[in-house]
Amino acid sequence: MGNRLGGVQPLRIALAQIAPRLGDLEANLTRHHELIAEARRRGTGLVIFPELGLTGYQLQDLAADVAMRLDDARLAGLAEAARGMSAVVSFVEESADHRLFIAAALLEDGEVRHVHRKVFLPTYGLFDERRFFAAGDVVRATPSRLGVGIGLAVCEDFWHMSTPHLLAMDGAHLLINVSSSPGRDLASTHEVGLGTAASWRTLMRTYAQLTTSFVVFCNRVGVDESLSFWGGSEVIGPTGATVFGAPMFEEGLFTADIELGDVRRERITLPLLRDERPELVAREWGRIVAGRAGLAEDGAS
Amino acid sequence: MSEVEAGTPAEEPMFELPPELAIDTGVARRVIAQFIRGQLRQAGFERAVLALSGGIDSALVAYLVAEAIGPEQLLCVMMPYRTSSPDSRGDAETVVTALGCASDLVEITAMVDGYFGADGVVGEGGAEALEASALRRGNFMARMRMATLYDRSVTWRGLPVGTGNKTESLIGYTTLFGDSACAFNPIGDLYKSQVRQLSAAIGVPERIIRKAPSADLWPGQTDETEAGFTYPVLDRVLFWRVDRRRSVDEMVAIGFERALVERVDKMVAGAEFKRQVPPIAKLGPRTAGVDYLYPRRRPGSARP
Repeated sequence: MGNRLGGVQPLRIALAQIAPRLGDLEANLTRHHELIAEARRRGTGLVIFPELGLTGYQLQDLAADVAMRLDDARLAGLAEAARGMSAVVSFVEESADHRLFIAAALLEDGEVRHVHRKVFLPTYGLFDERRFFAAGDVVRATPSRLGVGIGLAVCEDFWHMSTPHLLAMDGAHLLINVSSSPGRDLASTHEVGLGTAASWRTLMRTYAQLTTSFVVFCNRVGVDESLSFWGGSEVIGPTGATVFGAPMFEEGLFTADIELGDVRRERITLPLLRDERPELVAREWGRIVAGRAGLAEDGAS
Repeated sequence: MSEVEAGTPAEEPMFELPPELAIDTGVARRVIAQFIRGQLRQAGFERAVLALSGGIDSALVAYLVAEAIGPEQLLCVMMPYRTSSPDSRGDAETVVTALGCASDLVEITAMVDGYFGADGVVGEGGAEALEASALRRGNFMARMRMATLYDRSVTWRGLPVGTGNKTESLIGYTTLFGDSACAFNPIGDLYKSQVRQLSAAIGVPERIIRKAPSADLWPGQTDETEAGFTYPVLDRVLFWRVDRRRSVDEMVAIGFERALVERVDKMVAGAEFKRQVPPIAKLGPRTAGVDYLYPRRRPGSARP
């Protein structure tokens, strides 16, 4: 990868900030096809849909009814429709052994190029994901037709620092988080009037700066039951500066142009990833993991 | 907050807003409008109906619904009893006129008196019911209003919208299957102080914001004299206990009176049953609410 990294062609990203219909796979599929076609008309190179954009979020026992295998013809249809572009879509994936995952897939060249299964399933407060879903076990970057490495993550995955760190160290230049983030906490002291939004905005800028990567956040809008999703999708540059911010609560296909060469420029200027010490991190983690499992030598944990 | 400072400096502020309870009213209105539209769409409805009392809670919900879907889609039903305050009726009519929404007037006097009796004439509830307490009568009235509202929801083809706030829900100052009955509630997570703040921001008439809150179950009744503390105090206790998870000892350290905190705690615990769906005895393989868990609205559930 990297042959086009210093290229001068900007990459147009389309953020599909949609309001999926809960449990209505066919309606959502139709909406995806419409927006992929619109993204193409607008000269998009990468179109991104939010977490569970094909199914809606608050599925509970509906999860099994809307689950798809990776060889599902409907996924292949989306991949075919997006040919010539890169697309990220999210759905309930059923594995061969019938576990259900919250998945995000990168579709390129008419096929499913890479799948990320949500690793961190929030099961606290208003969330109950672990009851209905299995947790993914892999965090891995993937090469893409865009000539850069892509790191996929789903919502809560980014509330754990290890996720963006691993993705960047594994070769991602572009970190993509797809979310169904329910808005809450309207205290008037928050920067943008919503506690959830203020927290996410801080995270995105921090990760972009610390990984010297583009960070793309695609969050849904609309309502599932009690929950209102706040949108506010963003593109943050490798310096931590905002490239684009979509409005909160508004449905739409929003586009932003980025210079992929910014990653190289920033990493030369600020070589944080060069100076990372993965062997040290792995060694210390090994020690800590052993300690937490009760396997450490006396006094070591 | 500009709302708090509304009015000229010489005037009393419209209401007291504890600073920690202040919300961003612009964001609140956007979230609530999206919520109302989403609830209706998912259920296959375009219209809404609500019980308008003349008090601040139902006035605010009327404004929020009108803002979300347009006043022509809203029916406000006024349901006075013979002892209800004429002022309440007048305030309700002010809201209807200001919004330009549809309204209905349904007197519940005959329904209520038909059960409890009146002027010494025994009703369907028997002789004993003539002596019924104000509490029994108040609960019955709330349930007659609920029955009327749900019937009107059929003729208007609109979903009944809830108007209860978080404060009264937490302390249980509400009638089970009465005023709390609804298809969805846009303000059930707002404390009374926040209801006032949002009401001022959205333009609810000042007179309605300023008047003492009352269930209007008997002449001269007000919430605050009945409960023995003011809403700003109660809201603060609930906010720090419930939302901020402070222990009783921590509450005392912050400066709250222990007796007050313990009294509010008791009210909250005692009202838990009012906030939840009644339990079903678990007998079969899949039981609603236990291990049969579906969203209220899903494909096929919308009215055609």
